[in-house]
Amino acid sequence: MNKKTLLVILILALLGGGYFAWHQYSRKVDSAADLPSTAQLSATELLEAFMVDEAAATTRFVGTTEQVIQVSGTIRSLEPVGKELTNVVLEADNELAAVVCEFANADLPAPWRTGTQVTLKGICTGFLLDVVLVRCVPVE
Amino acid sequence: MIIDRPVQPPLIMNTRKTLLVALAAAPLMLAAQDRFATRNGHIRFFSSTPMENIEADNNKVTSVLDATTGAIEFAALIKAFQFEKALMQEHFNENYMDSNTFPKATFKGKVTGFGSAELKKPGTYPVQVAGDLTIHGVTRPHTGTATITVDAAGGLKAVSEFEVKPEDHRIEIPAVVREKIAQQLKVSVDLTYTRM
Repeated sequence: MNKKTLLVILILALLGGGYFAWHQYSRKVDSAADLPSTAQLSATELLEAFMVDEAAATTRFVGTTEQVIQVSGTIRSLEPVGKELTNVVLEADNELAAVVCEFANADLPAPWRTGTQVTLKGICTGFLLDVVLVRCVPVE
Repeated sequence: MIIDRPVQPPLIMNTRKTLLVALAAAPLMLAAQDRFATRNGHIRFFSSTPMENIEADNNKVTSVLDATTGAIEFAALIKAFQFEKALMQEHFNENYMDSNTFPKATFKGKVTGFGSAELKKPGTYPVQVAGDLTIHGVTRPHTGTATITVDAAGGLKAVSEFEVKPEDHRIEIPAVVREKIAQQLKVSVDLTYTRM
């Protein structure tokens, strides 16, 4: 291999490495729409799992890396959060707690109202008073 | 010599139990008790260095404020902090905050300079806040200032800004990236309460 070929390989390797590093650095967070669901269940089942055994439910639904779960339920309320987000609060057979799903307004279907039966998926982040899902998208 | 000490339940368990009990008992409470709550509080943290700015938002902060006693608590899920860049979010959870081991941050304390009298008069009130801030499993005393605004409908909005030093909560930042992360992280809290 002559010096010229070696130089070309070296430059290509540097360019490739630089592109990979830049791509990794500037990579946006994944949309839930682009990820497969690791579980499918109702809002009631999801809340119940956390109420019964938070540690086990955290392991199953939150995991060590981001996990998308698919949840079905009836909308209890729609709560605007700032100018860009809306919380879709799903009934879960519990007056005090619910499943709260954060949508970017751009991802929130216009027909959704209180009482609408919906299916959505999002990234489960854990349990405070409610089970919290972020970056949610509707499932048609 | 082994000294037996009473086992303290984790703070977050106390916090959630307190919040749940507070919510459960809300309909039975007298109006004079003036309790307020939110599940949609906002916390932002911001790190600014010449090399890089880093910020993240959490819009799922749960908080209860008792205007009669001044007691205030809030809790936030670490994994609910959202970053613009995926790599930052991954490093935040996996390398710095150990969010699988310490999934929540909490504050439990007291507000002074605000009470039932101020609650009856719409306006903006500067207050003092003091309590225990738990991040990364490490509890540290925290004092600071905040502003509480009472609107004409009786709603409450509390805002505060303070700084957190990662080392105070045993958050280790590798030397190779230390220049990219501020020594003191700026934290802003914005809580819009509704009466319980």
